[in-house]
Amino acid sequence: MGTTTQYSVPHAGIGPVEVSVAEYGSGQPFLLLHGGAGPQSVTGFAETFAATHDVRVLVPTHPGFGGTLRPGALDSVAGLAALYQALLDQLELSDVTVIGNSIGGWITAEIALLQSPRVSGIVLIDAVGIEVPGHPVADFFSLTMDQVFELSFHNPDPFRFNAATLPPAAQAVAAGNRDAIAVYAGAAMTDPTLAARLGTLEIPTLVLWGDGDGIVDPGYGRAYAAAIPMARFQLLVDTGHNAQLETPDQVVDAIWDSAETDFSAFAR
Amino acid sequence: MPKTAVTRITHSCHLIEIGGRTFLTDPWFSTRPGYYQGEPIAVGIPDLPRLDGVLISHEHYDHCDLEAFASYRDRSVPLFVAETVVDAARRHGFTDVTPLKPWQDLEVGGVTITATPAKHGVYEVTFVLRAGSEAVYFAGDTMLIPELAEIPDRLGHISLALLPTNGLHIRPANNLQVVMNAQEAAELTAILRPELAVPHHYAFTKGFLGDRLITHSDKNPQHYRDASRDLAPETSVRIVDPGIRIEL
Repeated sequence: MGTTTQYSVPHAGIGPVEVSVAEYGSGQPFLLLHGGAGPQSVTGFAETFAATHDVRVLVPTHPGFGGTLRPGALDSVAGLAALYQALLDQLELSDVTVIGNSIGGWITAEIALLQSPRVSGIVLIDAVGIEVPGHPVADFFSLTMDQVFELSFHNPDPFRFNAATLPPAAQAVAAGNRDAIAVYAGAAMTDPTLAARLGTLEIPTLVLWGDGDGIVDPGYGRAYAAAIPMARFQLLVDTGHNAQLETPDQVVDAIWDSAETDFSAFAR
Repeated sequence: MPKTAVTRITHSCHLIEIGGRTFLTDPWFSTRPGYYQGEPIAVGIPDLPRLDGVLISHEHYDHCDLEAFASYRDRSVPLFVAETVVDAARRHGFTDVTPLKPWQDLEVGGVTITATPAKHGVYEVTFVLRAGSEAVYFAGDTMLIPELAEIPDRLGHISLALLPTNGLHIRPANNLQVVMNAQEAAELTAILRPELAVPHHYAFTKGFLGDRLITHSDKNPQHYRDASRDLAPETSVRIVDPGIRIEL
């Protein structure tokens, strides 16, 4: 189990922002950013990672998700990136690897672009954010929940639930998450300027992608990796969009043992 | 006769005192994503002594941090550099910039500065500083190449050698080695036969992910000391923490 701390983080132009941060383990620091599926989509992975390695994994809940409050002026992925950079400054962390899934991956890319010396590497897991001709991001807001499950997992059955049967409080949280996704990422979940800006990055980057991702397909992932100089791309087998949920061991191994991987085997 | 001494600031950045003059090598005073000293920066730019010259072996950020070093109090300080550094140095406001090619030399206040060959991922030169019978060889982060064996014949006895030892490899470049390793540094020590050798360029890290994805290197300078004990037993090897001044 992790411990959760409420931080008041200074944010230029907005003022202090309350951020709830769950923390797991101790050692090499990682900042783990969830996507639209909410913080519960990464906490199990954080527990697994911290239980098997000497790592300190910090999992913030993006303001507006999980029933938390979002300041009205905090309304963009770039704003979240600035918030988390300020959090790392506040915690005086160094040699931080930022890991992000889906929209969390987009936030991760924007954090890298801020070029904080505290951030030494990034891992993008089935990230959204760039525009790739011929590889559109699935239109999340037009999908039924069944369709979301089908597109998000290689094998969706273990992860399905009926949202209509959730208690009212949980349904309110889910609705809040949906609203937060729309505010931060927009309906398209892309920024047409992002891919070009990524070309300036010099940060070590690992791009992990589920071979069965139906939200953003592996071709999109390869384009993401190609947009970042020297980024390495790795497919995860029998894995969908939420790789850290579906095949957490593959994700941990890909990160921890990345020096041992023959990346020449993976097409860019 | 003033003492010859060296103070390692960090990585390959040293203060070298020789012939009563003080020189700075390969300035690196900041950090960037994926570029970390892995050890303290022992002296900040405001605390640097008055410098008689600055030697810069090549343009890589961890050897040529001109953006930070531009805050040094006197940008008319003489810079002696690889020719690929000249434009950047002038762009950062340094007004006295002299490129040196291998085996070219000049004199600064009684100290002869000679550029010596090197091989790295980019064009690089190394340097020998001589005052009287004492000479310091600064090896930047070169590979061991045959031309370096010419140094004793061409420039005389070396008293103190500052040598890289991490054998840095670049994984995405087919694992290309770009810096001499501990064994090679010991071989060079046996060639130069200095009284004292100090390893540098070993604590450097690209961070958790960068050390896995981009580079791999030997971070233990003890390997150099062990190899030198076998190959160059007459040389004293000192592993020096940043900030410690040692005299020849």
